[in-house]
Amino acid sequence: SCSRAKDVTMPAKLPVNFFSTRSPVIDLFRGQLDYADQLRQDSEIVLYFFYAPWCGQSIAAREEIEHVASRLSDQVLFVAVNCWWNQGKCRKQKHFFYFPVIHLYHRSFGPIEYKGPMSAVYIEKFVRRVMTPLLYISSRSKLLDFLSNYEPGVVGFFEFNASPQPPGYLTFFTSALHSLKKDYLGTIRFGVVTDKRVAEEISLVHSGSVYLHRHANTSLIYPKDIMNFTAENICKWALENREMLIRWLRPHGGKSLLLNNELKKGPALLIFIPYNPLAEIHPLLDEITKVALEYHKCNKSQAAEADLQHVGDSGSPAFDSSVTDAHLEFSETFPIAKYPCCNTVVLPQWHSISRTHNVCELCVNQTLGVKPNKVHVPHCNFLEIEAALDSFYLQEHTFFQVISNTIECSNFLSFYSPFSYYTACCRTVNRHFLSFISSEKTIFQTPRVAFSSHGKKDNTQFSIPHIEDRNCFIPDLNISSTNITGLSCRTNKTLNLYLLDSNLFWIYAERLGASRSTHLKEFAAIVDLKEEVHYVLDQNQSLVGPTL
Amino acid sequence: RERVRAMFYHAYEHYLESAFPYDELRPLTCDGQDTWGSFSLTLIDALDTLLILGNVSEFQRVVNVLQEGVDFDIDVNASVFETNIRVVGGLLSAHLLSRKAGLEVEAGWPCSGPLLRMAEEAARKLLPAFHTPTGMPYGTVNLLHGVNPGETPVTCTAGIGTFIVEFATLSHLTGDPVFEDVARKALKALWKNRSDIGLVGNHIDVLTAKWVAQDAGIGAGVDSYFEYLVKGAILLQDKELMSMFLEYNKAIKNYTKFDDWYLWVQMYKGTVSMPVFQSLEAYWPGLQSLIGDVDNAMRTFLNYYTVWKQFGGLPEFYNIPQGYTVDKREGYPLRPELIESAMYLYRATRDPTLLELGRDAVESIEKISKVDCGFATIKDLRDHRLDNRMESFFLAETIKYLYLLFDPDNFIHNDGSDFDVVVTPYGECVLSAGGYIFNTEAHPIDPAALHCCRKRREEQWEVEDLMREFYSQKKTKKFTLKRAPDRGEGEIIKDPKDVSSEKAGEKRNSKKSSHSLLSCPSQSFNSKLAVLGQVFLDNT
Repeated sequence: SCSRAKDVTMPAKLPVNFFSTRSPVIDLFRGQLDYADQLRQDSEIVLYFFYAPWCGQSIAAREEIEHVASRLSDQVLFVAVNCWWNQGKCRKQKHFFYFPVIHLYHRSFGPIEYKGPMSAVYIEKFVRRVMTPLLYISSRSKLLDFLSNYEPGVVGFFEFNASPQPPGYLTFFTSALHSLKKDYLGTIRFGVVTDKRVAEEISLVHSGSVYLHRHANTSLIYPKDIMNFTAENICKWALENREMLIRWLRPHGGKSLLLNNELKKGPALLIFIPYNPLAEIHPLLDEITKVALEYHKCNKSQAAEADLQHVGDSGSPAFDSSVTDAHLEFSETFPIAKYPCCNTVVLPQWHSISRTHNVCELCVNQTLGVKPNKVHVPHCNFLEIEAALDSFYLQEHTFFQVISNTIECSNFLSFYSPFSYYTACCRTVNRHFLSFISSEKTIFQTPRVAFSSHGKKDNTQFSIPHIEDRNCFIPDLNISSTNITGLSCRTNKTLNLYLLDSNLFWIYAERLGASRSTHLKEFAAIVDLKEEVHYVLDQNQSLVGPTL
Repeated sequence: RERVRAMFYHAYEHYLESAFPYDELRPLTCDGQDTWGSFSLTLIDALDTLLILGNVSEFQRVVNVLQEGVDFDIDVNASVFETNIRVVGGLLSAHLLSRKAGLEVEAGWPCSGPLLRMAEEAARKLLPAFHTPTGMPYGTVNLLHGVNPGETPVTCTAGIGTFIVEFATLSHLTGDPVFEDVARKALKALWKNRSDIGLVGNHIDVLTAKWVAQDAGIGAGVDSYFEYLVKGAILLQDKELMSMFLEYNKAIKNYTKFDDWYLWVQMYKGTVSMPVFQSLEAYWPGLQSLIGDVDNAMRTFLNYYTVWKQFGGLPEFYNIPQGYTVDKREGYPLRPELIESAMYLYRATRDPTLLELGRDAVESIEKISKVDCGFATIKDLRDHRLDNRMESFFLAETIKYLYLLFDPDNFIHNDGSDFDVVVTPYGECVLSAGGYIFNTEAHPIDPAALHCCRKRREEQWEVEDLMREFYSQKKTKKFTLKRAPDRGEGEIIKDPKDVSSEKAGEKRNSKKSSHSLLSCPSQSFNSKLAVLGQVFLDNT
């Protein structure tokens, strides 16, 4: 209603440098897109960073980009373009709905848009993938390594001795780049085999054939006779037929239905682990993969067995492979054996004070006598264990002096029944095992929770959380392990497995009950959206149960 | 937070230096102008922001300046709506906050005081506008002569329905019911004239009650009408106002909501007339969060946030299908609505995305609109050209909400754990315990003061009954809490306003009880995980 002052206006300030002049990033702050295109000729790999100078995200990403650039500037050209200034070429030609936008070019192939987290390690990983989209697989063991990964792998076999570049190789190479374009998480990994003997391992005979490895189902060979051998087709074929044992969830921060869609598929196990995409090995991830494989393993699938073995071997040298055999033995004798009700307790105090970890195994032993019928049934209800726990904690101070590798046992009487007594064996586990234990927990948690959600009452004796040391061969450990095997085949209700990087998405863990200020950012929880139930795996004594 | 504070002082000091006593600063020419009247508008509007930033001494100084300098007996045509929300609202909140600011208050406070008398005086100047056959006010009034002969009878919906918060406060504090009565009458007139499908247009003839502009939506011309139904309902614990809003809300969802956007439709037929998003509509998610509909609020908020990311501001009109600004409506006068919603939602969800918006807003405003003499309106978001204006709401609202977003411990966010006991001639009152209601110009009103000034003896009994009832409920509540162990972190920190609305009836008691008892036992996983941009679809 008032327009007395409308006559005076001021044009926007002229653009200035966004990156410092000493930065390895070339800053085209006047939006010189034509010059940017020229620059592309000079380098095999180019990264474009399109920004708007006023944009908070661009400003936050600037540092990350500089960091990546300082590490890769000898191999990759980094070009930043101001795509906001309305006099600039970039603004006139491109129309972005958000900033910053990152485009990558591999020679003339591109643009490949990067849509991952704006953090230096993730960006660097992606740039490296664009630099070498194909992994060269030279030996049999490397092949096994490649295939045993939890992410789907595609292997092409090309014999290089025949010609400088075998037919189809370039197509395969481009399809690897294509997949990076479509699938920005880069889950499908592409490898190339040049040795005939190695190729035979996965029954590839002819040069130019492509193989998609799958753990649970049979692996596939690209049907050349049905589909044309083009980069798009290979990529599409791999995307359609891949299997997802574990999925990374990386919400991009914008409005998205990702969690909605995934969690509505059914109950989901969300595992939060700190993840560095640049690290060479991920022991924790290997453990989780093992669990996933075991979960998906049906008896007939030999491939999975082999992979499992491989992961086990490479993942943990301390791991005793005879465990598997032991499992079998024990599981066969399962119906005859008598099981005390046991519960392992980690003393929480030790955890924070020292680098050692005290584990106590608490058992309820019922004496033969007055009520014989009770003994013969391997039955142990929740209440008894709870009562045992209570009395155990009352006597907890007696175990404080235990810091040794020996096992100390003590018996104490139940307050509630004269016919049963409790046994507590305590030992100290070095911190070294800690990560091992935490992944172990996952294993043992899974079947129990799955069972309880399926309502199989006959397994109630394992409805108490367990944390076990590997070296302790108590029967129920093995049963737990065998229970998990092939579980996905036996039950019609599947549990989906997801990974989240706890460095980026810890807030979701917090929402599920993890503590805000934990130094070890590992957390696992099963969420069932439909039933509004979740099960949480705790650092100390696990708490399992419906919370809503 | 410190950057927001620096922004405030940059603008405020230049206003004092170059523009005072005019209404607004002209940041490009470094001088002042009168816009909505002639009452040093920016100063009145910025007054409570000073206190929220913690500047007690300047607050005191300005109160004295205003008491001496501002005169409403002037021959000026003023907008009834703007004068109410900016001047009356600003003075009322300053009056209610003056004790907190360390000012000497008179014995009758909060039921009397110099600022309250000024607010009352200003409001009385507006009353002639309400003398119409329908009870709906004219849009403009002359402060000295009343409604000008030949004044247009066409007023926008918001200009009719945006009085209840200030006027009811005035009535409760001063004991003169005339203000609340005219405000309620105007609200009822609008309610009576809604269309068969339950929508209102955006301009109406106050003499004949015929709709002149029949576009229905939630934005310009209508916005604060809906806002005041909700805020009035919370402030006065009035079920009737709330049920009106819930009816409208249903119709709005039915006819105007598409994919979490709200479009403009014909008020009788419900057909889409304009597929645009307006900058002013961005208050809606905040309003939804006040009625507890946080999930929908967040979804809509994320839509609006994408527009911000595209331009570094919200254009007055944004064409949704085309994904671009609308011709002649490309400006962004540094409006507060989106930030306001972010603040409310952050109280409810603690979603870091909302802080991210706050950061973006700080960056954008500093990079784009900061000039030597203050912060200039963005005339065109496409090229970021600047205009020679700095609206008073920039200091009153934009900065205030930004600061409150980044200052979770501000006294405004009080959850009831802190309060002042004030002895008045009417008895003892518990004040400033939180649960502030912001008027549409972001001036906080303490609902407890309203109650204080009209407290009657028999209510005491009512209070004790409620207490007993409350404690018996508490026992059952405790049981449910036990079954949800360690929910603390994920638990919703209830908006102070939700708390006050939940405790229907009695403020004084709810303030004293501990916070956790008032929170819900646990949220659904849908809402717990709906952070960082994740949204969930309803199961229906």
